[in-house]
Amino acid sequence: MAESKFKVLTNGIFKQNPIFIQVLGMCPTLATTTSAENGLGMGLATTAVLAMSNITISLVRNFIPDKIRIPSYIVIIASFVTMIDMLMHGFIYDLWKTLGLFIPLIVVNCIILGRAEAFASKNGVFRSFLDGLGMGLGFTASLVLLGSVREFLGNGSIFNYHLSDVKMFAMILPPGAFIALGMLAAFFNYLGIKRSKPKKAAK
Amino acid sequence: MREYLKTGITLMVITIIAALVLSVVYTVVKEPIANAELGAKLKAIREVLTDAETGELLIAAENIPETASELAEFEWFPAGFDSSEGIIYTATSSQGKVESPAYKFVKEDGSEIYVAIGIAVGYGGDVKSMAAFVSGPNGVSLNAIKVLEYSQETPGLGANIANAAVQQRFFPIASKGLDKGVRVDKDAGVTPSGDQIEIRKQEDGIVTVSDVMTGATITPRAVAFSLNAISEFLEKAGVR
Repeated sequence: MAESKFKVLTNGIFKQNPIFIQVLGMCPTLATTTSAENGLGMGLATTAVLAMSNITISLVRNFIPDKIRIPSYIVIIASFVTMIDMLMHGFIYDLWKTLGLFIPLIVVNCIILGRAEAFASKNGVFRSFLDGLGMGLGFTASLVLLGSVREFLGNGSIFNYHLSDVKMFAMILPPGAFIALGMLAAFFNYLGIKRSKPKKAAK
Repeated sequence: MREYLKTGITLMVITIIAALVLSVVYTVVKEPIANAELGAKLKAIREVLTDAETGELLIAAENIPETASELAEFEWFPAGFDSSEGIIYTATSSQGKVESPAYKFVKEDGSEIYVAIGIAVGYGGDVKSMAAFVSGPNGVSLNAIKVLEYSQETPGLGANIANAAVQQRFFPIASKGLDKGVRVDKDAGVTPSGDQIEIRKQEDGIVTVSDVMTGATITPRAVAFSLNAISEFLEKAGVR
């Protein structure tokens, strides 16, 4: 039986969270989460690309021959990323400057191609949109959480709001990204295992 | 054969549609992009043309450029420099370059102000800094700087160069300090504190940043290289 629309939307946020559960899109996750603000900007830009590419791929899914579906999806995704890049450059210049190279790199974020292949190419337009939106919001929430943890531990602030004088610089450097991501992934998986145990016991 | 043709044509149609859509979006955002870039540059020019000591504009407010055409009137190309590739000067004493064009403004008292953008490599990429140099009876001094490009620097470390409090450590610098070359305190091997911060900057060109940018030396060093490149360019142009 097909999942309800609400479940399609919330799957990406909790049950199939792309970062902590599916462990996808690690490159932008590790690179852009040096602060909560960067994580939010990157997450929202990715959400926009995910939702729009899912809609488009779902619309054209019956016209694209199987053999060229991957290059076609990449052309569609790259076009949306270029569009977002240009729009951010023109209308939110400061954030565009901060995120720099990471915006064009959304093209190679495997979450987007993964959802196109696994969901949008097999489902209707509205459900694909909800899937893209849910996955994007899950990705954004994860980046903001990871960025907040790293910014707080590394710089004593969250969203540039000063909270503490304790600064562990390693947390905003690459090793800190791996440490924080590992800790958070372990925590969320522990919660998932803990929740699934009573259900299994009930069966 | 027919199948190959079909897949080829399908892919071609997709790319043509993508190119058309992108060209439409580009046409729409072309102007906002140009405005955003120009706006950032004009804002920086206004900031560096503000007297670092009094907080007042060095030239009359109505003379500060507000459009691309107004800005073009202040472009300055000294003789003997090739600016065809967007770079008007590459420094020989430090690893810095000067972007083309440079700008020249004239104060009411007739003294000249030179504004240029210096480029040097930071931790992750180019760091661009705009600086205004003012000519006076005691030679040419640095009035103010504004770091324009630092997007590849590490947030929380090198990217702290964006903070106004950090940038203020670099200016003003008197002619005497510029002659010795701008250096960050770590490179100079000293750690001035209190009144010495200002004295060593003016006398020796030593900029103290180790207390406000702990753990990041490469980015402020890039700013120092940029300033030295502009200073050297002005010297070669016969201004200093």
